[in-house]
Amino acid sequence: MISLRDVNKTYPGIVPLHVLKGINLEISKGELVSIMGASGSGKSTLLNILGILDNYDSGEYWLNGTLIKDLSENKSAEYRNRMIGFVFQSFNLINYKNAVENVALPLFYQGISRRKRNNLAMEQLDRLGLSDRAHHLPGELSGGQKQRVAIARALVTQPSIILADEPTGALDSTTSREVMELFKDLNRRDGMTTIIVTHDPNVGEQTDRIIRISDGIIR
Amino acid sequence: MFDLINEILQTLRNNKLRTALTGFSVAWGIFMLIVLLGMGNGVTNSFMEHAMSPGSQKIDIWGGRTSRPYQGYREGRRIILKSGDIDKIEEEHKSFTSDATSTIYGNSTTFKAGRNSITQSYTGVFPSEIEMSGGNKQMIKGRFINDNDMKSCAKVIVLPDRFEKQLFDNEESLGKIVSINGLAFKVIGVYTARWGRETYIPFTTARLLTGNADNLGSISVILKDLKTEEDGKAAEKDLRQTLAAAHDFNPEDQSAVWIWNQFADGMKGLAAMSILNTSIWILGLLTLLSGIVGISNIMFVSVKERTHEIGIRRAIGARPLSILTQIITESIAITTLFGYIGIFFGTITTEILNSVFGDTDFISNPRVSMSVAVQVTVVLIISGALAGLFPALKALKVKPVEALRDE
Repeated sequence: MISLRDVNKTYPGIVPLHVLKGINLEISKGELVSIMGASGSGKSTLLNILGILDNYDSGEYWLNGTLIKDLSENKSAEYRNRMIGFVFQSFNLINYKNAVENVALPLFYQGISRRKRNNLAMEQLDRLGLSDRAHHLPGELSGGQKQRVAIARALVTQPSIILADEPTGALDSTTSREVMELFKDLNRRDGMTTIIVTHDPNVGEQTDRIIRISDGIIR
Repeated sequence: MFDLINEILQTLRNNKLRTALTGFSVAWGIFMLIVLLGMGNGVTNSFMEHAMSPGSQKIDIWGGRTSRPYQGYREGRRIILKSGDIDKIEEEHKSFTSDATSTIYGNSTTFKAGRNSITQSYTGVFPSEIEMSGGNKQMIKGRFINDNDMKSCAKVIVLPDRFEKQLFDNEESLGKIVSINGLAFKVIGVYTARWGRETYIPFTTARLLTGNADNLGSISVILKDLKTEEDGKAAEKDLRQTLAAAHDFNPEDQSAVWIWNQFADGMKGLAAMSILNTSIWILGLLTLLSGIVGISNIMFVSVKERTHEIGIRRAIGARPLSILTQIITESIAITTLFGYIGIFFGTITTEILNSVFGDTDFISNPRVSMSVAVQVTVVLIISGALAGLFPALKALKVKPVEALRDE
């Protein structure tokens, strides 16, 4: 599903910063893996590259059989939209849109009609047990509910991978556990390939495989 | 569409005061534009009614005094127009003369009908007089003086409606007799007019009455087929030439005959009107400009405040173009919304001005037409797009990575 071959990334500057020093990584379909590392380890940069949010300098990144390299803004937007479901630490819901509208937003960018995308969004919310919260604004939801709405938004386009950045970072321990259960459940039931970036060992332990990165190299 | 309205309402709600102030400046700009255009139209309409009527297809000539010696004559000789001049003009200048006429103004005298009488003067005119009033004078019954009346020096009279009322007490006047200086004139028609109240008799009849067989106070030449101010000037020169030859004065002598070239003046006026209209547009657009800058400013703030949101949208798959479109559409919507508020109040104001000044001579119907509304809408959309363009380009620079930053 994911294949990184000798990926290098240097941030230019007065003192160029070589953050990724030849990353080689294979993640197969249906895996639930975590990427762990201290801050400054290159963890975030790797996440950005995996999420097609940033470019890399050399090497190859294959996602679901597609080479992701030197894409135009439009192409990378399209790939992000169709292949990747993002889950963020701070949920990143749009605060003046209610739950359904937030979940439906990625479908809006696919040009799907309003009625159809709201139906699909309702379906996702229903699956995650949030149908009664569908017309609430994010401000009216608890942290756990917000994160579940965000997960529904990630799932609505039926992406190849779920990319979660510290998904439990803003949650208390109980809701953290619930959210992790949800990820595990999605992985088990639907075989959803999931990559969780975290610094929390408890989260890491619950995944099939932990990829540790430090100083821009996978250990 | 629904999403768009939602977005816009959100932007407006987040910046209530700024939106109100900026919106006011756009509305004010458009308001000023509409009112100024309305007033401009009023002046133009009034001008058109007076000047662009057939009355302005006209050159009037009066006899004057020579200011230069010519062919043995000394300067200071009085030039008196003769009825023969009318025939000469009609013969020599068929290309631009549709009719040449003259008018005789009689002295004040008593008009009697039955027991009623008024003191008035008669005006001897050619049959084309009524058409030359340019719609000001309109027959309401009977007919105007015709060529047969002219040939036979008929004793017929056309009255303005208010004299008809005074002389005949609202009774039928057609065919009745009005006596002027003891001479019986038959009423053949009645007209109504916005201004002026001459009683008309045939020119030839008036000439007999005044006993002045051949001398004319003035000649009016009705023009045809002339287009530009230059055409009008050329026609004026030709007429002067003809009269100079007939009365032996220097064709360059400006004071031998006095010429009022209404056609050339009218064309000059038209050009002035179009300059007026252009200036009003420039003024209005400049006023609007401050509003546009304001909208641009509010959009910049909106983009800045929503950097994170734009980042999220980019991360979940918004193309740069859709972000650009969103910002520009928002800007157009805000501009157009407030613009239409301005149009609304501007239109109300012009309606009020119309009811106050609508019937005066200087301003007539000071309102804007549908075509102006369409033009202003186009202006608003372009302004909105311009106002949104730079903020939108700024929004484009927002990278999707922004979504990962904490707020």
